[in-house]
Amino acid sequence: METYLYTALFAPLVGSLFAALFADKPKNLVTGIATSTLLLVSWISSVVLLLHVAHGEEVHVKLMDWIHAGGLVIPFGFVVDQVTATMMFVVTTVSTVVHVYSIGYMDHDKSFNRFFAWLSAFVFSMMVLVMSDNFAGLFIGWEGVGLCSWALIGFWYHKESASWAANEAFIMNRIADLGMLIGIFLVYWNFGSLQYDVVFEQVADKEHGLLMMVTAFLFIGAMGKSAQFPLHTWLADAMEGPTPVSALIHAATMVTAGVYLVIRANPLYSAVPEVSLFVASLGAFVAMFAASMALVNRDLKRIIAYSTLSQLGYMFVAAGVGAYWVALFHLMTHAFFKALLFLGAGNVMHAMDDELDIFKMGGLAKKMQWTMVLMTIASVALAGIYPLAGFFSKDKILEAAFASDHYILWTVLWITAGLTAFYSFRLVMLVFFGEERYKIFGFHPHEAYRFMLWALAPLAVLAVIAGFFEHNFVHMIEHILPIEEHHISALTFWTLIVVTQAIALGGIGFAVYKYSKGGFSKKWEETFVYQLLFNQYYIPKIYDEYICKPYGELSKIFWKDLDLKVVDATVDFIATTIYKSGMVSRVVQSGNLSNMLRWMGVGLLILLLAAIFYSPVR
Amino acid sequence: MDHILSVLVFFPAIAGLLGFVVSKESIRAYGLSVAAIEFLLSLWLWLSFDGSYPGFQFVEVLPLIPSFGINYYLGVDGISLFIVVLSTFITLIGLIALNVEKDLKNMIISLLFLEMTMVGVFVALDAIVFYVFWELSLVPMLYIIGAWGGNLRIYAAIKFFLYTFAGSLIMLVGMLVMAYLYYQATGVWSFSITEWHRLILPENYQIWLFVAFFIGLAIKVPMFPFHTWLPYAHGQAPTIGSVILAAVLLKMGTYGLVRLPLPMFPDASVYMIYPVAILSLIMIIYTAMVAYAQEDMKQVIAYSSISHMGVIVLGTFAMNPEGIAGSVFFMLSHGIVSGALFMLVGVIYDRRHTKLMSEFGGLAHVMPRYGTIMGIMVMASVGLPLTMSFVGEFLSLAGFYQVSHTMTILAGTSIILGAVYMLSLYKKSFFGEVTKEENKNLKDLNGKESMALWTLVLVTVWLGVYPKPVLEPINTSVESLVSFMHKKAITKEAKEVIKPKVIEREAE
Repeated sequence: METYLYTALFAPLVGSLFAALFADKPKNLVTGIATSTLLLVSWISSVVLLLHVAHGEEVHVKLMDWIHAGGLVIPFGFVVDQVTATMMFVVTTVSTVVHVYSIGYMDHDKSFNRFFAWLSAFVFSMMVLVMSDNFAGLFIGWEGVGLCSWALIGFWYHKESASWAANEAFIMNRIADLGMLIGIFLVYWNFGSLQYDVVFEQVADKEHGLLMMVTAFLFIGAMGKSAQFPLHTWLADAMEGPTPVSALIHAATMVTAGVYLVIRANPLYSAVPEVSLFVASLGAFVAMFAASMALVNRDLKRIIAYSTLSQLGYMFVAAGVGAYWVALFHLMTHAFFKALLFLGAGNVMHAMDDELDIFKMGGLAKKMQWTMVLMTIASVALAGIYPLAGFFSKDKILEAAFASDHYILWTVLWITAGLTAFYSFRLVMLVFFGEERYKIFGFHPHEAYRFMLWALAPLAVLAVIAGFFEHNFVHMIEHILPIEEHHISALTFWTLIVVTQAIALGGIGFAVYKYSKGGFSKKWEETFVYQLLFNQYYIPKIYDEYICKPYGELSKIFWKDLDLKVVDATVDFIATTIYKSGMVSRVVQSGNLSNMLRWMGVGLLILLLAAIFYSPVR
Repeated sequence: MDHILSVLVFFPAIAGLLGFVVSKESIRAYGLSVAAIEFLLSLWLWLSFDGSYPGFQFVEVLPLIPSFGINYYLGVDGISLFIVVLSTFITLIGLIALNVEKDLKNMIISLLFLEMTMVGVFVALDAIVFYVFWELSLVPMLYIIGAWGGNLRIYAAIKFFLYTFAGSLIMLVGMLVMAYLYYQATGVWSFSITEWHRLILPENYQIWLFVAFFIGLAIKVPMFPFHTWLPYAHGQAPTIGSVILAAVLLKMGTYGLVRLPLPMFPDASVYMIYPVAILSLIMIIYTAMVAYAQEDMKQVIAYSSISHMGVIVLGTFAMNPEGIAGSVFFMLSHGIVSGALFMLVGVIYDRRHTKLMSEFGGLAHVMPRYGTIMGIMVMASVGLPLTMSFVGEFLSLAGFYQVSHTMTILAGTSIILGAVYMLSLYKKSFFGEVTKEENKNLKDLNGKESMALWTLVLVTVWLGVYPKPVLEPINTSVESLVSFMHKKAITKEAKEVIKPKVIEREAE
């Protein structure tokens, strides 16, 4: 099994390095094919490992020591247990699809090879993140995905907006990483090790306050990667990257790393209900907050990005109320249908010459039948309609929130389910149905390459059927994660399902009804609420005005007014004073005899006076 | 090779003297081969160094002035070994990439003399020998800045010289007092640093002496508020001068901290943790902000150097093996990374004769290979895992965490602020469209530059992935240093703060 583990881990790295060799050469199809093939190899290995660990086994290997100083020993160790295997399956599945799809999507890009080098490097980092057996290894992957995300958001670096968004994403993630790093230090100095197994078995002996600190600081790290409020603004801006990147990194895998961290550290989190409650509350807040912004946005990709944010909120609620397996399950199903939705959106963008405004589209269903079908499947799954994958996982989250007596959380999520259904179908309606507005703007849409559509087929199938594997999943995951027994009656259970389905269907119905009749009137756009939502609650503006600009100003003041005019000037002042005093006293050494005698007289006088005043015999 | 250290110290100087008679045409080849031989010798030193023995090895003692206990006394341990290798390595790399036409011969001879003084400082175990090399190192650098520098070169060179010289005079006074105290205690004079280590002084003496040594070393580091000579020196120095200044000369200060005040005055060091840490924090945050405000690429890197040196000092004052080993490792990684960054700025300066970021933009289109290496080094400077800097920064901060929670969070902002100024530098110069006509036809890296820079990239990644060969000997010496300090400490606080290996290794 070790061989499979190393194959799964290193195949993407090999692909990345291979593609990097051609980075500054013109497009070479081989790089795309080679990286995709290697990812397929990695996927096969992951599936083998998944089947192997499904019955409670675990593969644990140590490659070599990495850092060893004082008492701190950090190995490159990798573990494949049920959680990791699930993550590996998700990561390799989505990334294989995305690689194949990108061969078509990036067809005309002159940096084709560079794209694949970074994309595979990302997969490698993500694998390190999920496979490491210690917090430091996790941090390697954590920063690695951040780096790749930076490079891929800024892939079209000639665009100012892209390079800006890349830096924003990196820096915001770094803010969170500091929290994570502090969490790691706390773990080291209090648990004496960074190995998961060593740390988790000591949880019971540790003070509550300490555990609170550890979990809180680690969660700050998770908030950055998973773009939770208030560190969420980078995710929407990250849509500047090529769409396959958005599908892979900013929907299916990297942004779920925060959820993974909480699931992985579940022995810590379940020991501190306060922090867990905070996690769940923040998750519920973000779910609704992000969904509300998606309601009015006009940008195809940003709508999906906000929906990702909202769904991450759902996952945190599940993790926060202790239903870790549900969080992982939703993470998986979400990865499938959200990647599908994004890649479908990629087809639309290609057809529309990279136009993103959904109000310039409409009626595309005629030209892009298959894309329409795929995106509708994804949207239905996202809305959580039976029998698609989203139903099973989202319903479980609502059930878990309700069963753990968090009725407020449940209500928030319930309303959000309605909003989700509404904005998803608003998008579908505006893009694919209704008036063919694109004709006014002179676009000539066309369906994507056939193989790109076929590449999406696996995701579409998974988005439909993944939910039915719930029992197999539970059976596997119970070896490592707690499976709580709900104490709710059958009646409540069925009522919850009916109520949730009702609001989701209601949302869909409203969207279809409204937008088949031409949508909302212009007046709505002038209201305060619309403006507030459309401007993302003015948060990006606030950050820019009250953090970025003052920082820049203060830096300038520090440099020009403090460093040059105070600190350095003091040094120069001392130097010039010494220099000048030398110049002044130079007169003494003039060599003029009568002057010398005069000075001698003065000196003698001073000495005599001193002798009188300080004489011991007075 | 019993006298390997003497050979390492004097070979470049003698070769430099002989350089005067070498013809102009062959001086580059001559300089390169001398530096290469010196580097190989230092590699040999590393290979034959016993990494499991914590004390000094290859020791040489030759009495100079016996009546005052001044000896020619050399030796290396795990702490100094790699800084010696770093010095010879950076000199060689710098010579490979050297792009000076004017007075090439003098430049190469100065560099070889500089190499002697650098190696000398790091292997000296006698305070007087240490001091002599310490001061001598100013001379070639003064000459390099003054003769090959920019418009303000004379001002910058003199500022650099006088400022550090004034600091070291204070340290010299400290040394003389120390020798006198040793004489009082034992009846014989000694300037041997290892003998001084064994001298236990009352706490108030320790504090005064600590301050004397600290000022001398702090100006060299340079610590806030003594740092203002550095931006001028970097701003005016030619590329090679900046590379060596940042990579090696600054390390004299931080190396000195580990070698002198810490083991000599453990109680005072503990007493001074907070003042020193506060200075370091100011250095880290304040200079990182100043770096962000810069318009000149080289100044960004100069200020970033100061900011990173703050983390090194902080790690040193963690008083545990994690922190000190981390800070010694960080010295090496900062040497490699900042050396590479200054070299990279030199590349563009040679082509455009400007370093202003506003003059560039879109360089990644025109010079993709240059952009790639710059990207790697920017990320290394930011401290990304699997580069050398991460290991050093992580350990330094982890070590200091044991001393103070809040201060480590503040110091940790260096990973955020570092990303802010480095990424904005990269964005301004390398991303975007090519706007200036002059930038459209810039040549990408040439063979010399590629070779020098790729070597540095390789080392950065190699020691980031597998730091063991370097970290292990450092750790061995540092662990023994910390337990020595713990044993020697007289005050209760110091005994508590200095923690030799708190956490026992798991059964291996």
